[in-house]
Amino acid sequence: MASAALTVLAAGVIDVGVTQQHPPAPEPTAATSAPVDVPATPPAHPHHRQPRQPFGPVLTWSAPTGLAIPAIGIDLHDLVRLGRTSAGALEVPSSFDVAGWYDLGPAPGQLGAAVIAGHVDSTSGPAVFWRLGQLHRGDLVRVPRRDGSTATFRVYAVAQYPKDHFPTVAVYGNTSNRAELRLITCGGTFDAGTGHYRDNTVVFARLISHPAATA
Amino acid sequence: MRSVTRLAPLVLAVPLSFAATGVAFAGNGSATAQLKPVPLNESHASGTATVTVTGDRLDVTVDVHNILANNPHAAHIHFGADALHECPTAAADTDHNGHINTTEGGPAYGPVTVSLTTSGDTSPKSTLAVDRYSTAPGGTIDYSRGSIHVSPAVAKAILNSEAVVVVHGNDYNHDGKYDGKTKSDLDKSLPTEATDPNVCGVLVAAPSGGAATGVGGGSTGTSPALIGLGGALALAAAGTGAVAYRRRTQS
Repeated sequence: MASAALTVLAAGVIDVGVTQQHPPAPEPTAATSAPVDVPATPPAHPHHRQPRQPFGPVLTWSAPTGLAIPAIGIDLHDLVRLGRTSAGALEVPSSFDVAGWYDLGPAPGQLGAAVIAGHVDSTSGPAVFWRLGQLHRGDLVRVPRRDGSTATFRVYAVAQYPKDHFPTVAVYGNTSNRAELRLITCGGTFDAGTGHYRDNTVVFARLISHPAATA
Repeated sequence: MRSVTRLAPLVLAVPLSFAATGVAFAGNGSATAQLKPVPLNESHASGTATVTVTGDRLDVTVDVHNILANNPHAAHIHFGADALHECPTAAADTDHNGHINTTEGGPAYGPVTVSLTTSGDTSPKSTLAVDRYSTAPGGTIDYSRGSIHVSPAVAKAILNSEAVVVVHGNDYNHDGKYDGKTKSDLDKSLPTEATDPNVCGVLVAAPSGGAATGVGGGSTGTSPALIGLGGALALAAAGTGAVAYRRRTQS
């Protein structure tokens, strides 16, 4: 079912592909745009998880202080902190050129899914996570932390979900005993009626390094 | 324009495939706790706990670092309708002995509802089943257990950010074991070191839905060629997309 949907999506991209040549980044309205590497192995549903998988490398709590994703030219030296809105949704950064860490969840490197979100565009053009959908499996994401360590993650999936079918458990839930990272931005078509994009692009990555803290 | 009208429904095809794989109950979700030292109890430990709720079933992982090694650490999910749904502050030391015992923390986090044992029973009956808790080899607890069944009230409390994870066991006199003259408030055969809370964290429900991380400027403002199309796509999304949904549900 998933692969069938994907094939059709690719066809959809071709339909509008002619519009993509101008902007340097994938056009979010077509962000199904090819870079979407939909998980060959989607995040495991807890039902199917083995009860006792070995734990991967895990760091202790330390606040993230930046975000570097060389593959798409992101090098941030600060992250704002995000919580939940009064309606229970994820807060988003109030400015378009910064990303934010959801600090009610794990810190990047801790067991579980750490979440960093940023805008795909502003009212006038691309924003900090404009190119997020261009990431591919295998790309590296580095998160410097206040304790002096750097948590390095490797991307294992990039997916796009309609906001009204957002897979909360796959994004925020148990991670098969690994320290993981989620990068979230908007994608899909922009709905002028609501003023929002219909979809979210989510990058899934796993901690690969186990650096000793230097402080 | 035909391509535009085709795109919207195709994009919508993805959610249907995901929806089909998963959601059987209304009460599904996840919650994460940042485990921090309980005040006054001389803990330097920290960690996280994540609970995924699927109906009445929990999948739980707990990771704690820098806790007393090679001694059992009782760990529980606490919830009480009358509790504060919080971790205790230093003010909880009502007997003023300089430490917060499990009973003193009760008003903050409520009674035990789930025992995070490594095997066997997970009910409150196993609250002090010290032979079935992680012993933190190397000072680290790596705990993972699935298919823990709970009452609807407990599942709901977790998804309402009202449940609290507490990991117990301290070594006030730094001799590497549970001992000392003060007996546990829970079981007089155990020293209070064995049962006093060490780290605690409220299980905060994951944010609901997606993230509002775009306002559309990129979709229309980057290239003259895109201005018209962006608007057309937006219209197509507002109109055709909804139609596509109806068609899907009818077929």
